[in-house]
Amino acid sequence: MRCLLGLLWLAGVLAFGVNTAQAHPHVWITATSELIYAPDGAITGVRHAWTFDDMFSTYALQGIETKTKGVYSREELGSLAQTNVESLKEFGFFTFARADGKKEKFQEPTDYYLEYKDAALTLHFVLPLKTPVKPKELAVEVFDPAFFIDFKFADKNPVKLVGAPAACQMKFQRPNDGTANAQKLGEQNFLSGENSNFGMMFANKITVECP
Amino acid sequence: MSPKSPSGFARRLTICAGAALTILLLDSAIHALLAQTPFGGPRPSAEPQVGGIVGWLLSKQSEFYREMSATVRAAKSDGSAVWTLLGISFAYGIFHAAGPGHGKAVISSYLVANQETARRGIVLSFASALMQSLVAVVIVGICAWLLNATAKTMCGAEKAIEIVSYALIAAFGARLVWTKGGGFIRALQAPRPVPAMALAAAAHHDHAGHGHGHHDHDHSHAHAQGHAYVAHHDHEPRHDDHGHDHGHVHDEHCGHSHGPAPGELAGPGGWRRGFGAIFAVGIRPCSGAILVLVFALAQGLFWAGIAATFVMGLGTAITVATIAVVAVTAKDLARRLSGTKEGGGALFMRGVEFGAAGLVLLFGVGLLFGYLAAERVTCI
Repeated sequence: MRCLLGLLWLAGVLAFGVNTAQAHPHVWITATSELIYAPDGAITGVRHAWTFDDMFSTYALQGIETKTKGVYSREELGSLAQTNVESLKEFGFFTFARADGKKEKFQEPTDYYLEYKDAALTLHFVLPLKTPVKPKELAVEVFDPAFFIDFKFADKNPVKLVGAPAACQMKFQRPNDGTANAQKLGEQNFLSGENSNFGMMFANKITVECP
Repeated sequence: MSPKSPSGFARRLTICAGAALTILLLDSAIHALLAQTPFGGPRPSAEPQVGGIVGWLLSKQSEFYREMSATVRAAKSDGSAVWTLLGISFAYGIFHAAGPGHGKAVISSYLVANQETARRGIVLSFASALMQSLVAVVIVGICAWLLNATAKTMCGAEKAIEIVSYALIAAFGARLVWTKGGGFIRALQAPRPVPAMALAAAAHHDHAGHGHGHHDHDHSHAHAQGHAYVAHHDHEPRHDDHGHDHGHVHDEHCGHSHGPAPGELAGPGGWRRGFGAIFAVGIRPCSGAILVLVFALAQGLFWAGIAATFVMGLGTAITVATIAVVAVTAKDLARRLSGTKEGGGALFMRGVEFGAAGLVLLFGVGLLFGYLAAERVTCI
């Protein structure tokens, strides 16, 4: 019996070691987003502004030629911005929209540019919906499923509705980060079986309800 | 030894051990598989977030990593901050290796498949971590420092190296499967109702050409079991006496230390076998190291970045070595337990080895074709 327990312990340690943390971010993004509405009340797209952490900003700027050292103009950063939006395409721009439960697709980004301020790069871009929609309930989630990038929305004015019908109500839900809430949520999940959508746990979720 | 009950107990233990090992390996494979589902649905990759300890681990890791950039900046004006940087890097390395890297999975599977010793597991872990650090330094040294290439170029280099690494892992796994498959099939084909035959076949795999004249049938039951046990150990020499050495030790106590000395397993050319594992795993650098190096370079402290990278590698090696030792020990235990059985034990151990070899191949192919998510290269 001692042996069996020992083996189980070993197995546990090994499982823990092999399995621990699929997720660990290398890049941190502080985001603000705007949902853009057409005059007819349909949502047309999402405008993102993503500020990278200083380590990644420095990495991204490696090898970029500038006229003045340490000062990067929008033009000088043009090719990098191009690279960014091209690479982000592979990951669906980390933006996932559902209109009344139905998945919505995005077009290629427009109006994209990079801005360098306070040792940090900010990527601005607009993600137009393939077809503007007028749902009762719209959900937009921003997160990296692989958690290579940690998305955190700005503390102040994280999400704005631009030109939305007055009756629309916006709710913004931050992810439950893996620290303080983890244990509690873990237990809840096990006990109630609710909220079993684990991927949501670090999604920033914007919900807009228009009656 | 009473003939019936200990063997029944051992059988149950064996099954448990086998099940544990299989579930474990499968589980890690499936987790890795699921981590890269297309963007359609919710992904289970967030699952580790729910665990309290894991959550803590994760947040620690992020903490250390995030402190690095501030510390490198601090080191510009205050030299003593370099020590802090090294401390953080070491801690990060330890925590980081508990993450999704393919390295420890491949190394552990290789060790299990290939009847390796814990000592060699440790050496392999350290060698591959050292190589990983070295590759990171070389990439950044050449691309960023010498050529002042852009992040895009560097990322291209990373991607190319990544593909080479995964292809090597797949090739390495294929070779393991080929070798271990033979042993497994031979063990399968062995007519199990007659224990002596089964173990002759199983033993054949590891010491081909040796005589097995001592399997005459006036041996007692206990002796036959002793043979079965020895057969799993890949013993090279000493056939003439093992029946007497080991025949008596198989009771329900599994704590006996009667495994072969590490030196006996590392036969001629033994280290060369491990070299493939080191190379396949070590050639792919860690994204974190690349980021830190480029950042340090930009701050004019490339040397500090290099030091941090190697210290990080040291931390990683410690964690990977620990996991490798656990894997080897678990297999050892399973082997001891299954050793008390007749021919089926050999079949079981060959099956485990074959499965582990298959996993290495699976990892390689999965990584290569993007079914498995490893740590992403820094291309954004």
